[in-house]
Amino acid sequence: MIGRTEVTAKQLETRIAELRSTRDSLVRRPVEEIVDVLGSVGERFLEDADPIRQRALAALPEEARLSSAMAAEVLDGMARDWSRNQLKRTVRAEFGDPTALDGFQSVQGRSVAGIGPRLCVQIVSGSVPGVGVNALIRSLLVKSPTLLKPGFGDTLLPKLFVEALAEVDSDLADSIAIVEWRGGSEILERIALSEAEVAVVYGSDETVAALRALAPPTTRVLGYHHRVAACVIGRDLESAEIESASDDVARAIAMFEQRGCVCPHVVYVEDPADSGTGLGVSAEKFAELLARSLRTLEEVLPAVPLEVDEGGSLQQLRGAAEMHAASGEGSLHHGGAQSSWTVIGESSTQPGQPGPPTAYRGVRVRRMADIGELGRAFGPHASHLQTIGHAGLGDRLESVALMLGRLGASRIVPIQDMSFPPPWWLHDGRGPLRDLVRWTEIEDSSQLELNR
Amino acid sequence: MNAYDDSTAPDGPVAGPADHLGFEDLSSSLEARFGAEGGSGQWSDGEFSSWALASFKHQFSTCDPYRAFCVARGVTPESVASWEDVPAVPAAAFKYFDFLSAEGREAEAVFQTSGTTRGGAVRGRHLVPALDLYRASLTPPLRAALLPDVEQIRMVSLIPDPEEVPDSSLSFMVGEAVSRFATQMDWLVGSDGGWGARSSEMLDSVRSAGEPVLVLGTALSFLHVMERGRGGLAGLPDGSRIMETGGFKGVRREVSRDQLYAAITEHTGVPTSRIVNEYGMTELLSQLWEPVLAEGLDAVGVHVPAPWLRVRALDATTLAPMPEGDDGILCFFDLANLGSVSHILTEDVGSVMEGRVRLRGRAPGAESRGCSRAMDDLMSAMDDR
Repeated sequence: MIGRTEVTAKQLETRIAELRSTRDSLVRRPVEEIVDVLGSVGERFLEDADPIRQRALAALPEEARLSSAMAAEVLDGMARDWSRNQLKRTVRAEFGDPTALDGFQSVQGRSVAGIGPRLCVQIVSGSVPGVGVNALIRSLLVKSPTLLKPGFGDTLLPKLFVEALAEVDSDLADSIAIVEWRGGSEILERIALSEAEVAVVYGSDETVAALRALAPPTTRVLGYHHRVAACVIGRDLESAEIESASDDVARAIAMFEQRGCVCPHVVYVEDPADSGTGLGVSAEKFAELLARSLRTLEEVLPAVPLEVDEGGSLQQLRGAAEMHAASGEGSLHHGGAQSSWTVIGESSTQPGQPGPPTAYRGVRVRRMADIGELGRAFGPHASHLQTIGHAGLGDRLESVALMLGRLGASRIVPIQDMSFPPPWWLHDGRGPLRDLVRWTEIEDSSQLELNR
Repeated sequence: MNAYDDSTAPDGPVAGPADHLGFEDLSSSLEARFGAEGGSGQWSDGEFSSWALASFKHQFSTCDPYRAFCVARGVTPESVASWEDVPAVPAAAFKYFDFLSAEGREAEAVFQTSGTTRGGAVRGRHLVPALDLYRASLTPPLRAALLPDVEQIRMVSLIPDPEEVPDSSLSFMVGEAVSRFATQMDWLVGSDGGWGARSSEMLDSVRSAGEPVLVLGTALSFLHVMERGRGGLAGLPDGSRIMETGGFKGVRREVSRDQLYAAITEHTGVPTSRIVNEYGMTELLSQLWEPVLAEGLDAVGVHVPAPWLRVRALDATTLAPMPEGDDGILCFFDLANLGSVSHILTEDVGSVMEGRVRLRGRAPGAESRGCSRAMDDLMSAMDDR
């Protein structure tokens, strides 16, 4: 059931054949029953006394390179989505009537059935813990036998999930295979992709492109390529909200040690209005506050020490920002050698000029004369835009959201909710379950006549 | 003018610059000093130090962004006791600042870093005010590494002609090698890296002449040639040798050095003991060479800096020097960078032993750490050239 080392081509083929043989019984089970079983397993990750949660908390820090406190925070945030209630809501949000996955249902006069892939291959890269379990849950909910290649820093949670699942429902657990190989192993990737009806690929643009190129035309490849997130602070921010906005941004940056697509790397701060309304905050002031928030947060949610190559990257980031600051272009705040947060205050308002990229709790704070400049600022990143956290937009929220949506953003969210989208979120603009399903329709000639 | 002052060093008489020299004097003195060098020797600590401190003084006084950086750190030429204390500029800063330390002299060449294929990535550039100094620094180490046994050799290049790619420091270096040491040169690829129309013909002529050649190329260019099949570099004459440089950044499927060299040997017939690796970057005008031709296979994995280039491995967090042989981030002081900035902190990882460097390759799987694009960009923020 659980692969511990890299599979061989022969083993992979055998595992896939075994998976396929589970589909007949899997598709006969009502979706509500599957929701119930998966949700009951998912809830164990939130029960303090449960050995599954305890094992997760014990091993996550090392595997995912997170501090214990951060690992607990991440597990709580991810596992909240794995409960019966949340999964029920997800299926409803996606299909209205979830029995559309159990057989034919009449939808607006049409008789349709939602069919999950004969085999779903989920290829995850990266070390954001919980992504693998999310992926498993999604394809099991649409009754698809699932081969998961977990990210190299995210093997623990899916393995624990399947183990716990096997205790209560071995049939369902048999519909999952977790296999590991090194990304770029073309022979294995070709086998998996040619056997899949749907392959879901999470990874860098290069990884998604490479895997697409390996897949036959008959395999539908759903790519979740890398994304960027940002925060926008508008001038309608009440002064009483400024500090909490700063704390929220700090938290959104630090969560997952900024590895997630939902983690912001830049904060745009709109200049306060001239009149003495007391609303809004200057970018300069916000950068200072954010530095303070990150410093405080580090005490509660520490980072792990960086590897030598990561430390080298951080030196480049800080060093370049230090040069800018020394030349009178902006400011630099960081927590010193043993600390991994960095705030770069940029004086430039030219959105086209990209500052150094950030990582390791690093963020650029950039001023913006008016929110209308966001289009120009995000333009170069349109095809990678995803989550925009907002505060202080007042009654401009909807118009700004529409502008960002037209540009490419798929998720406009209060900053405090950036890190953990609900399981029914429109992941990169697409329904997480609907995207996996294909539809079969029984056409009715009398209906055809009516529609003519 | 006599640029050497023999009287000041504590460890005996050393050659070094006199006080208060301007760019022209420093540059021509260094040029003469580089030329007097075999390319593989070592300068005494005292001599290197006096040149390094003179370079810092010059760069501090003439390069505005560098001076601002130093002043913000509270460092001036008067306050530093040794070259190790001179503020090191992060290589990434070449993306945002023009470092020109030449008292009003214009750049004779502007070399660009290669940049990544991703949209929005900024390319760095290195302004070079005195190409003669650069030329003087290029040839002795190149000769020591690639031609320790012959005066001249026929050459074949998979790196484009500098006339076609004037902003590539690598092409410049190859062009310089040609003008100094080539009996004949065939440029096989164009500025876009594509195979030239006459290249296969040129290689047929190399094979039929039977005379040993030096093939210059990047790792990626060798892969491309071998993937082309149809002859390529197969059957090079006996006694041929190869210079390989550059990694595989931006390419998802990494090939290890051993795999690459084994494939090159199989394809060309040139044994591993005659494949020399060069390590350099646009931000540094001097190079490091793997001296396998001079020292044999014991030198595999060891890079020797030019005598006027010093390397330290630093703790990635504190920037304190690492003990001999321990991995750290590499920091270079390059006297050939007189016209820009000499002390440069990179994010390459390696160890230093007796002045020689062992590079540590990126850990397998390090490609993907998350689903955030900014992270991904940062991981490849340092470009090859």
